[in-house]
Amino acid sequence: MALRIAGAIAGGYALTALAVAACSAALASAGMARAEAVALCAMLGFVLFLVLVLWACSVRSVGRLYLALAGGAMLLAALWWTVA
Amino acid sequence: MGDTFTKSMALLHTWVGVIIGSVLFAMFWFGTLSVFASEIDRWMLPQTRIVPAIAHATAPLSLDRLAALAAPQIPKEAKQWRIDLPTARNPTAELTWRTAGAGGDEHARLIDPVTYSLLAPQQSHGATGFFVPFHYMLHIAWLDLGKWLAGLAAMAMLALLVSGVVIHKKIFIQLFTFRPHKRLQRSALDLHNLTGVVALPFHFMIALSGLVIFITIYFPQLHAGAYGTDARAKAAFMADAYGKYARKPAGAPGPLASLDAMRATAQQQWGGGQPYFVRVFHPGDANSYVELRRSYANDVTMNLDQVYFDAATGKVLARFEAGPVMTAQRFISGLHFIRFDHALLRWLYFAGGLAGCVMICTGFLFWIEARRAQHAKKGLAGVRVVEGLTIGSVTGIVLATQVFMVANRLLPADGQHGENAALEVQAFYGAWALSFAHAWWRGRTAWRGQAGAIAALAVLAVALNWASTGDHLYRTLAQGRYAVAGVDLMLVGVALAGAYIARRLRTS
Repeated sequence: MALRIAGAIAGGYALTALAVAACSAALASAGMARAEAVALCAMLGFVLFLVLVLWACSVRSVGRLYLALAGGAMLLAALWWTVA
Repeated sequence: MGDTFTKSMALLHTWVGVIIGSVLFAMFWFGTLSVFASEIDRWMLPQTRIVPAIAHATAPLSLDRLAALAAPQIPKEAKQWRIDLPTARNPTAELTWRTAGAGGDEHARLIDPVTYSLLAPQQSHGATGFFVPFHYMLHIAWLDLGKWLAGLAAMAMLALLVSGVVIHKKIFIQLFTFRPHKRLQRSALDLHNLTGVVALPFHFMIALSGLVIFITIYFPQLHAGAYGTDARAKAAFMADAYGKYARKPAGAPGPLASLDAMRATAQQQWGGGQPYFVRVFHPGDANSYVELRRSYANDVTMNLDQVYFDAATGKVLARFEAGPVMTAQRFISGLHFIRFDHALLRWLYFAGGLAGCVMICTGFLFWIEARRAQHAKKGLAGVRVVEGLTIGSVTGIVLATQVFMVANRLLPADGQHGENAALEVQAFYGAWALSFAHAWWRGRTAWRGQAGAIAALAVLAVALNWASTGDHLYRTLAQGRYAVAGVDLMLVGVALAGAYIARRLRTS
């Protein structure tokens, strides 16, 4: 239970913060004004975090939760590294 | 967590609600009061009960005359000063200045714009200085902890709203269901569902927009992707997104050209738009510069339009307008701040906020009543702990707010500057702590005692306002001073509600 809560709040937030940085980098490299890309991704970040928290609370196994968080983090890191 | 999605959401709703409900209630309560912060300020700062808005009608205020009035107040070492102009709801202009040093102390004086004279120094934080910051940062400045806690509560609110919708299948019927004379558990749940469903769109919007305001706080590294992670990256992002012009002081003296001429230029650039504040950086220096910000009194969007002038010559140095996404961010922020003039919407926001307070309180009541018999049988302390928490967070904070306002009218008006303000805050926290102690000591019966105390304090506040300023309802209403009259009427409403609740709890 503690693992699930930690995964939902801390893990979900970390993944969201990473998504904000990676996606804004991608949008900026695609030609969007940098500040605009950052603001857009940060605003959408709250919605992503909400979805992650709700999903983390309902997914059947905690193992799957952490697997998904790690997978998501790797994908986003790869995206960031590609466009940086 | 649960076997099914619905059961998981039910668990989430129950426990997140109990854990964060107290913080959410405080945010909803002070958020609701913040909707009328200007009006409560008039009540708490009697020297600002001056004839409103007429100043606009005659001629635009002279910024040069205001600057001349401000000049003797501002110490030589001030890094910047600023004058906020009066609005339809706020009849005074306000001069603020900041002294040198990291952060620097901020000082303020209120100005009567009709007579161009300084008002007596402010004796109270008022609603704007106490209720509004409580709403978004809980008065915990250390490490921005209060803002983070408020952000966590706002995220919890969103999760509570979604999970609440998931666990209730008969949403439409709940819009019309309230059985006030059933058992408390049933009535509380009806009222919880009713307020939750009716105000659902408002509550979702208000929680999400509250988060969006603080993107740079809640994602402190948001710039890392597009701007990199070096020391100047965040400042570069802030300048691009929110606008900024800066230059260093020259160290040689310099004059200040006509501010009214600068306003005329800015108005031209903004197609007739008015400034809402003027700010002078490095006053008296050869490199001094002036910032004018465009008013958003008639817009939801809190625009970021700004024009910078060379102080000595009045030439335009820089202009800024937000990009489309940042304008959307400022629109969403504006939905939350409700700084625009619209009386009907203001009342709807007030009602939505009160609905949130009722929803949180009845959520607690349902949790307690659903477990009371069971916990008593098993000898668990849960109900008693949560009941004390609920009473202290609900009636306790309302009671402390009344004490704050009573203290405001009780403290002598000639008190040393700042002393009264601190005493009011101490009275607030003292009363709040006492109400928690009372709630844990007396348990369920504390509801009645605190509701009665709230009623008595509200009556006392109205009486003290009359005694200390001569403003009673008949006079304020007859003279059309609706801000003061409105707060008095609200207090009468609070007194009636408190008395009704105390009476009904005695018979049940």
